[in-house]
This record gives sequence, structure tokens and C-alpha cells, in this order.
Amino acid sequence: MNKNQILIIDDDPDQRLSLRLPLESAGYQVFEAPNTADGLAAVKQIKPDLVILDVMMDTTTAGFQVALALHSPDPTSEYKEFRKTPIIMLTAIHSTTPLRFAPDADYLPVETFLEKPVDPEVLLAKMRELIHE
Amino acid sequence: MALPSLPEHYDGGIGGGIVNSRRRLVDAELVASVAWLIKLRWIAGVGVILATWAIEAIFHLDAAGGPLIAIGAAILIYNLIFYLWDRRLVSREAPTAAFEQLAKWQVGLDWVAVTLLIHFSGGIESPVILFFMFHIIIASMLFPMRTAFAFALLAIVLLTATALLEYFGLLPHEAIVGFLDTSLYRNGLYVSAVLLFFASTALIIAYLATSIQERLRQREEEVVMLSEGLQRATVRLQALNEGARTVGSTLDLSQVLNRPVMSTAEAMGVRAVSIRLLDQSRKRLEPVAVYGLSQEYLNKGPVEVDNNPLAQEVLSGKVVNIPDAPNSPMLQYPEEARLEGIRSMLSTPLPGKDGPLGILRAYAQEANRFTPDDEAFLTAIAAQGSIAIENALAYRAVEALDEVKSQFVRMVTHELRSPVSVIRSLLRTVSGGFAGEVSEQQRDILERVSRRAEFLQGLIDDLLDLAAGKTDVKIQARLEPVALAAVALKVVRRYELSAREKELELEWVEESPCKTVRVLATPESLDRVFNNLISNAVKYTPSGGRVTVSMVCTQEEARVTVADNGIGIPPEAMEHLFEEFYRATNAKEMEREGTGLGLTIVKDTITRLGGQIAVESTPDTGSRFTVTLPLYESPAETEAGEGHESSLAGIL
Repeated sequence: MNKNQILIIDDDPDQRLSLRLPLESAGYQVFEAPNTADGLAAVKQIKPDLVILDVMMDTTTAGFQVALALHSPDPTSEYKEFRKTPIIMLTAIHSTTPLRFAPDADYLPVETFLEKPVDPEVLLAKMRELIHE
Repeated sequence: MALPSLPEHYDGGIGGGIVNSRRRLVDAELVASVAWLIKLRWIAGVGVILATWAIEAIFHLDAAGGPLIAIGAAILIYNLIFYLWDRRLVSREAPTAAFEQLAKWQVGLDWVAVTLLIHFSGGIESPVILFFMFHIIIASMLFPMRTAFAFALLAIVLLTATALLEYFGLLPHEAIVGFLDTSLYRNGLYVSAVLLFFASTALIIAYLATSIQERLRQREEEVVMLSEGLQRATVRLQALNEGARTVGSTLDLSQVLNRPVMSTAEAMGVRAVSIRLLDQSRKRLEPVAVYGLSQEYLNKGPVEVDNNPLAQEVLSGKVVNIPDAPNSPMLQYPEEARLEGIRSMLSTPLPGKDGPLGILRAYAQEANRFTPDDEAFLTAIAAQGSIAIENALAYRAVEALDEVKSQFVRMVTHELRSPVSVIRSLLRTVSGGFAGEVSEQQRDILERVSRRAEFLQGLIDDLLDLAAGKTDVKIQARLEPVALAAVALKVVRRYELSAREKELELEWVEESPCKTVRVLATPESLDRVFNNLISNAVKYTPSGGRVTVSMVCTQEEARVTVADNGIGIPPEAMEHLFEEFYRATNAKEMEREGTGLGLTIVKDTITRLGGQIAVESTPDTGSRFTVTLPLYESPAETEAGEGHESSLAGIL
């Protein structure tokens, strides 16, 4: 049993549940935060091994802001110790959504995207890929 | 003050126009008469010479042949000078005064010539005296009455002088020997009688000729006025017609109104025309279309109905004609009108279905400028304009409503997406056994629920596509050159797995010049089109069948064809194929689920991109959908830039 800690930042409790169950059954220790502020506080407190982030929360780009804060290249950043913490971003992209994005080292420092609805097997595969004990 | 320039022929308004046209009429006549006189004088000169010859050769009379021929020759010579003079004036487009000068010289010299002719053909006895009469007629035609009388008096003076000089022997009497035997020129009674009759005849002729001429001119003026009136009527009719056409063709308010306002001003021959509409509060009048007024005048301040007796009067449905605007108590801004140079104002209400919409107003620089005709005309324009304004306002309202509706649809569908996707996530978690063991029966139920949820997701996505395509006016702004083949191929790849699972052959055939052709689109819209067509083909083709996606292109367009040998489309379904939510019966039998929105979205998108879609199908044999899109540039042009980045890069 691994005891890696995972933080889910998502405003939808049902979505959090659908992620939590597979993660817990795989032995991860799961924490939840319902918004960006709580999420960032929780990151500092828990120091998770991986963060799962929803894109749209209080604002359509809230998830991006968290990702940018955590992975900021600024050496004085208050989150600098989390610069290497992997992030999985949850998206629900449709051709009419106002934003289009792709993982980009400069612009969006996240490790991978996961499209909603989330397939638990795919989720667990990504976890294994990103967390090396 | 910055005044817009008005057409030249309207400078003096209607009254000025008629004075001008009278001027032009008289001028043109004078110029023509001068030339005509010169022509006649050739005959006169030759006539004098021939007559002299005839007197001596045919009638064997003894006349002062030398001087007479000399006079004839002199006439021809000075006529040559007049001819050249006239030509020079004409070629220089000299002012009328110069022609008048020439005419006076002509008549003056003619007078001298006639007097000399009279003297050398017997003085008071000469029959040439009668020639003065038609010269007086000519002078009356050429000149105003006063000048004509002056010339008549001159003729009387010249003849009287000649007769008296000869009578008293101060001038030799040059009789035509054999014509009159008695020396009448010494008969005082005869001389005074002839002179008296000559004088009275000359004056009467001058009077008659100038009067007739004056009356002729009046007639001509009337004709000119009539024809100008007709012209104005034509221009007005055109303005009306233009208004009517604008009503039908455009619905943008300022566009609807600006042209009619300008053409109304031109048709009426006035300085300016404006349309002011009541604002939402119905207390203020805002200018929406203005022609011919300065910015200063427009910025004079708000036009408030409560402080504006004129506006109140007009909005109550009356046409109000103000002949002296700067001094009218009805105006809210009389001083500004004076500064703007506006003297008369004609205002008419713009009648709407539910009360007046505003005011249509014409402004003139002349006082007391507007006639009942103008009132009728402006009212007619107002009636037309009101229709246009109401249409445009209604269109605006519909547009705004449409925007609200489409935003609502998008909001709702976006809101629907997230719960559905959470439902699906949760279902996967449960059926994946992450929430405890699931029995066979439970798993079956969960799968059914999942299928329904997936259908719901598809429906929502389709609706969102449709709403986006239908309502996203900004799509035009997002268009970019997209490599068509790349998008099509990407969609083909997407369906390779499901085709293999269904034991279908899915192939991609592409002609080489098509490889890099680009069309103006968005990658998503093209993806949406091919995704729908190819998924349909895969869905409605039974196992063992074949789906072929092929692409050909010409210099102007690219054609992508999605062909299958599936169930086909029944003939009765063909005409409904692209209707929203329509599904053919055989399609429903084969696949229970389906939104019936796919082809609507395809057609909608293709039309939006300036392309066409064609369908051929035979039931049980197969279907063939052909999408034709105009190329962004010709294939030759793209070959050079073959390495350019695909527009798909960077799109998730």
C-alpha cells in the first residue's frame, strides 16, 4: 500500500467523490478542497504528492491560476517547494467553450490533462505514470 | 461655419433658380441672334451689290453705282470682322455682356449702312427707307425695350438729318435717275409727311416687336419653370423611391435613414434635412440622421419636448411651417438657428404605429421658403421613413432577443454538461467496482444508465454545436486558413478503431494536390462536419461494408466525399434530411439512439463557411455525402509554403 497524498481541488463534491473512490481503492490518501483559496492553503499544509485540479471553478480560469501559482518559476514564490509537484488538470472542453488550451511548458505548467467524464482506469494509469515512489 | 456644399443648381433656392433660368434664357437667345444676324448680313451685303447692278443693267436707271457697291462691300467687310469677333467670343465662352457689345456694334454699323444706302438711293425718296423697319424689329428682338426704342429714335434722327440736309442743299441729293422724275426731296410737305409716318411707324414697330418679344420670353420662362418643376418632381419621386427601396433592403437604422435624408434635401433643394427620434423616455429628441447641418448646431443642446413648443406641435401630428425661424417663439434654440443661417423650417411628424416616432425636418436659408407642395412632399417622405424606422427598430429588438435567447441556450447547455459529465464519472466509478462489489444485474443496469447518460451528453453537445453555429455571429471573425486534408484525416483516424471493431473497411483517398490546400474555417467547425458525416457512415453501414472518405480539388474548391455502402436513405427522407431532430425510419431501426441534429449541424456549418453539401443515396446500396468548400488560395500557392504549421497544432 502506498501512502501517497493526493489533493483534489474541485468545486463539485460529486466530481470529487468520483475521483476519490478509485484513488482510495488504489491506496492513495485523498484530500479535498472546494475552491482555489482552500486549495492553495491545503497544498501548503498537506504538501501533496500530486494535485488534481478542475479548470472551471469560481471563475472559468481559476484552475489555471492555481497551476501557475504552484509551478511559478519565480524563486521567491511562496509555493516554490511545490514547483515539481505534478498536476493533473480536469477539463470539459467543447468547441464552443471560450478557452482552448494545450499543455505548454511556458504557458500552462501542468503535467497532463484528463477529460471529463473521468474514466477511473485512465485516472489510475496517469497516477502511476506521474508518481514514482 | 462649416457648411456642406450644396449642389450648384440649388444655390439660390427655387426663386433664385427661376431668375437664373430667365437670365440663361435671354443670354442664350442673344448669343444665337448675334450669329444669326451675321449670317443674314452676308446676304444683305451681296444683295446691295446685286441690286445696284440690277438697277443699272436691267432697269437702265442711273444710280450712284460706285458708292452703293462700296457700301455693299463695306457691309461684307465689317461682317467678316463681326464673324471673326463672334467666333472668338464663342470659343472663349465670353460673358453675355461681350455678345451684347458685339450686337450693339452690329446694329450701329447697320444703321450707318442703311442711312448711307438711303442717301445714295435718293434720300427721302428712296424705297430703302423701309429697310429700317426690319432693322428695328431685329433690334427689338436683341435688346431690352429701352435700347430698342433708342435705336428706333436713332433711325428717325438719321433719316431726318439726311432728309433735312438734302432739303437745304447741305448734302448733295443722289437720286436714282429715271426712278422718280419730280424732286420730291425738295417738297417740304412730302418730306415732313414721310418723316412723320416713318417716325411713328418706327416707334410703333419697336413697341410691338419688343412687346411680342417680352410675351414670348414670358412663355418660354413658363416652359422653363414647368420643366424645372417637372425635374424637381422627378428628383422627388426618385427620393421617395429610394426611401422605399432602402426600407426593403437594409434594416440598420443609420443606414436606413442617412441616404433618404440626403436625397430629400437634394430633392427639395434645401440646405439641410434631419431626422430626430424620441428617446426611451419620450422626452428628448435625438438626431439619428442629419444632412447639411453643422456640428456646432447639432451640439447646441438637448432637444427637450417639454421646452420645445415646435416639437410638441409636430409630435401632436401637425405639419409645422415656420417661415422666419430666428424670430419664432416656437423654437427652443432660435439664436442658434440664426447663427446657422437657417430662416425657414418645415417639420413633419414621423408617424409610428403607437404614436409618433420623431420629427422629420427640412431647413432652408431663405425666409418663407416652404410651399404646400413641400409640405405634401415631406409628409410623404415621413410616411416612408416611418416604415423604415419601425422595421429597423423591430429588427433591432428581434436581434437583441435572439442574442439573449442564444446566450440562454448556451448557458443552459453548458450548465447541463457538467452534471451529466459528473454523472458519467460517478457511474464509471461505481461500475468499475471502486465503490464496492457490483452484481451482474447491477452492472447491466449501470451500463444502461451509462448509455442513456452518454446519449444525453451527445445531445447536449449537439445542441451546443447548433446553438453556437446558429448564433455565434463572431464565427466570421475567427475564421482562419485551415488545412482541410489534415482535419479530415484526423477524423478518419478517430474512427479507425470503431470501424475495425465493426469489421468495416474505412479508407482515406486523397489526390496529391489536395494535400496542403487550405480553406477559410475553424478547425473545430470542420472537425464537427467530418465527425458527423463519418460517424454516420460508420454507424449506418453493416459489418463487412466499406466507408470511403476521399478528397479532390480544383483551382477554386475542394470536395470531400464520405461514401458508404450502408443502409442508404429512403427517398421520402431525403427532403427532411437536414431538418433539426429528423431521423429517417431505417436509421431509427438500425440505431435506436440518435439526436437527429448531426446533419443539421453539418449543413449549417458548411453554409456558414460558404460551401455546399450534396447527398446521393439509394436505399440498401449506400449513401454519398459531398462537401464542397471554396479554397483559401489556389493549390499552386500552398505548395510553396508546404511546411507551414497545421492549424490543428495547439488545439486540444
